[in-house]
Formats: sequence, C-alpha cells, structure tokens
Amino acid sequence: MKKEQKIKKMLFVTQFEELWFDALQSLMDLRKAGFNHVVFLHVIERDKVALRRGKGYLKDEEVKLREMANVRFIDWAENLFEQGMEVGAYIVVGDILPKIISTAEEEGVDLIVTGRHRRPKLEELYAGSETLDLLRRTSTPVLVHKYMLPSGKINEKPFDRPLLALDWSSASENAVQYLLTFKDVVKKVVVIHVAGEKTFKSDSAMEIQAIRKENRQKLEAVCDAFRDVGIEAESHLYIGSTCEQIEKAAQEREATMIVGGTTGKKPLKEIFLGSTAKKLAERSAFPTLLIPANIKPEGS
Amino acid sequence: MAKRVLSVDDDPDIIAFVKTVLEENNYIPLIARNGEAGLAMVREERPALVILDVLMPKQSGIRMYREMKSDESLKDIPVIILSGIAKRTFLRSQEALTEFGDQPVPEPEAYIEKPVEPEELADTIKSFIG
Repeated sequence: MKKEQKIKKMLFVTQFEELWFDALQSLMDLRKAGFNHVVFLHVIERDKVALRRGKGYLKDEEVKLREMANVRFIDWAENLFEQGMEVGAYIVVGDILPKIISTAEEEGVDLIVTGRHRRPKLEELYAGSETLDLLRRTSTPVLVHKYMLPSGKINEKPFDRPLLALDWSSASENAVQYLLTFKDVVKKVVVIHVAGEKTFKSDSAMEIQAIRKENRQKLEAVCDAFRDVGIEAESHLYIGSTCEQIEKAAQEREATMIVGGTTGKKPLKEIFLGSTAKKLAERSAFPTLLIPANIKPEGS
Repeated sequence: MAKRVLSVDDDPDIIAFVKTVLEENNYIPLIARNGEAGLAMVREERPALVILDVLMPKQSGIRMYREMKSDESLKDIPVIILSGIAKRTFLRSQEALTEFGDQPVPEPEAYIEKPVEPEELADTIKSFIG
C-alpha cells in the first residue's frame, strides 16, 4: 500500500438494532482527518416482506418499514447537514451482505461501519460468518463498531487510543501503514504481538530469550514509525491464545479500539485471519477495525 | 413549445408523482436519480426548471444546488426544493459550507416539504416558468 489512505466517505450500515446515531457521532473525530461524507444503508431483509401463503408480497409492510427507516435517516441527516457534512441514504430490500458490498462499491466509500451481525448458528454452519464473508469480498476497511465500552460508557473517541495487533504478516504491515495516516486523530497507539505458547517451547532459555528480543525489536521499530509522525506509541509482547490476549491487552492498556490486518483468505498462519477476525469482530467488547490486504487506493 | 423540467429524486413513488404532474401540465419531464446524475443532466439538457430532493445517494441536493448556483451558466435556472429535509436545515447547511470557505449561494426559489399536493406543485412551477 503506497498511497495515503483517508476516510473521507463512510458507509454506515444500520438495522436500527445495534448501531444508532450516537455510534456515528462517536466517529466524528475523524473529521479532523478529512471525513465529510456519510452514506446510510438500511437493508429490509427479504423475509420480512416476502411472499406468504394467502397474503402475497407484503407491499404495505415494505412501505411501513421503508418509511420508518426514512424518518430516522432524515432526522440523522438533518443533524449532519447542519454541520456541513454531505449525507446520502439507501433503504433497500434484500440480503444484507450483497447490499453492503454493492453499495460500498457504488459509492466508493473508504470505510464500512457495521454492528455485530451474526447469522443464526445453523446458518453459520453452512454459510460461514457474515463478518468473514464481508472481509473476503471487500477491499474496503471494515469497522465492526461497538460504541459502548465495557464500563458502560459511550466510546466517544474510538480512534483515540487504538490497540494494533501484529503478526508480522504483510496484512499486519498494511494495518500499520493505514494507521500511520491518522496522526490528526490517533493520540497513542498500543502495539502488541501475541506469541503462541508453542513459540516458547525450547530446551534453551537463550533461544526463548532470542525470540523475545527479536519480537521486542520489531515492535519497537513499529513504535518508532508512529513516533516519527507524531503519534505516541508503546509496545507489549503477550503470550498465549491470540484472541484472549488481544482482548486482555485492550482492557489492560485502556485501548479504545482493536486494529488488525486481514487477508480475508486462507493462509491460516496470519493472526487476524479466520476465526481470530471473526471472534474479535463478533465477540470483543471493543470496536474492531479490520484492514484488508488488498485495500483499495484512496478515491478508486 | 413545451418546457423541460428536471426532477431529481431517488424515490420511485415521487418520481412517478412528479412525472404525472409535469405531463398533466404540459411540461416535458426529465428524470435523474441522484445529485451527480442530476447535475450532469442540467449541464447537458438545460431544463427550464429543476425540482430537487435533498437526501439522495451519490450526491445530495445540497451539493447539487450549490454547484448549480455557483455556475454562471446554470445559476439562473429556478430550483424548487421538494424534500423531507426541513428548509431550516437546508439553509444552515449552506451557511456551514460557506463558513468552510465556499462561495455563498442564494436561497432556493421555492422550498416545499414533502408531501405536496399536485396543485401546489403545479402552481409553484407555473409561477416560475409559466
């Protein structure tokens, strides 16, 4: 990723269950970094208006659901327009994932913000995780936003103190480069690496210490890159189960968000892949920003 | 010769409604479904009047209006805003954009909050282009 990334235009996906206007307000700090355009998307799931025996297509229900969403979006849009923001809205009937992807492409957004969407367990067994599906099919960063902190307070500035989890893959490097461009928004980055317990299985204490030293040096090099652009940074090495340790680190270090790179494909060695990305996005108490490896250049 | 009127709106029901009003009053309707397409059509077709929604995909009516009124060749085309967004918000947003460094733009020729009766819309159009 050579070109500087900025979040100018955001797709804000809401089913009016998990994300409300205060969730969007919590992201307004991004305006310091050029953010000025919100596109709302509400998807009326097909089965809510689908053909039913003896009833036909539920046109009345669709009109009702559309207008309910419209009333909310108008209210939100008025607030944003008055701040000089640009706002657009889509209220569509269909399946949520394809609609997110097609709208993001049509609008050319720089960030997709969603809540925690989980398929029912049985459906997930066959179709997989919705979050992973989205990551596989988009080259746009995805923020799975949880705007309530574990303390119960609203996370007013999620970009203030992100925790950046690195596994030294190219996807991780993308996440570093991405976050480096947010110097107007990010105050401090907590950079961590989680080493699996297997890494430390050795007869030689020297060997284990060498591994530790190597990781610490890599972490410090990343911190120096942040310091060079004026962002405070601290590094920590954790050992154990990846998801658990990332979540623990986020709590310990009072992070406001978890950030990681993801290839969205199969190489299972990468930290944020597969189950890790899914678990963090769906279960972590913290907003989770996932940067795809094939991130599109700004404005494309 | 019948005058051409451009309706810019993303709601299919509103598009059908405005189209009917225009046809029944002997205007030629032109349709665009967002501000970006609307602006391109204004430049290409030079309609006698524009009926403009505010909250739309791609580009809002606020930006399209600003582009039109900042363009010497387009600024005299009358614009009727027909929207669910309050007039107060429209004016405040234009003020905010001016404060951010854009040129000031005049108030729209007419502002109608949805819904509108066909007669009111037709009368408003006639008051500007006959």
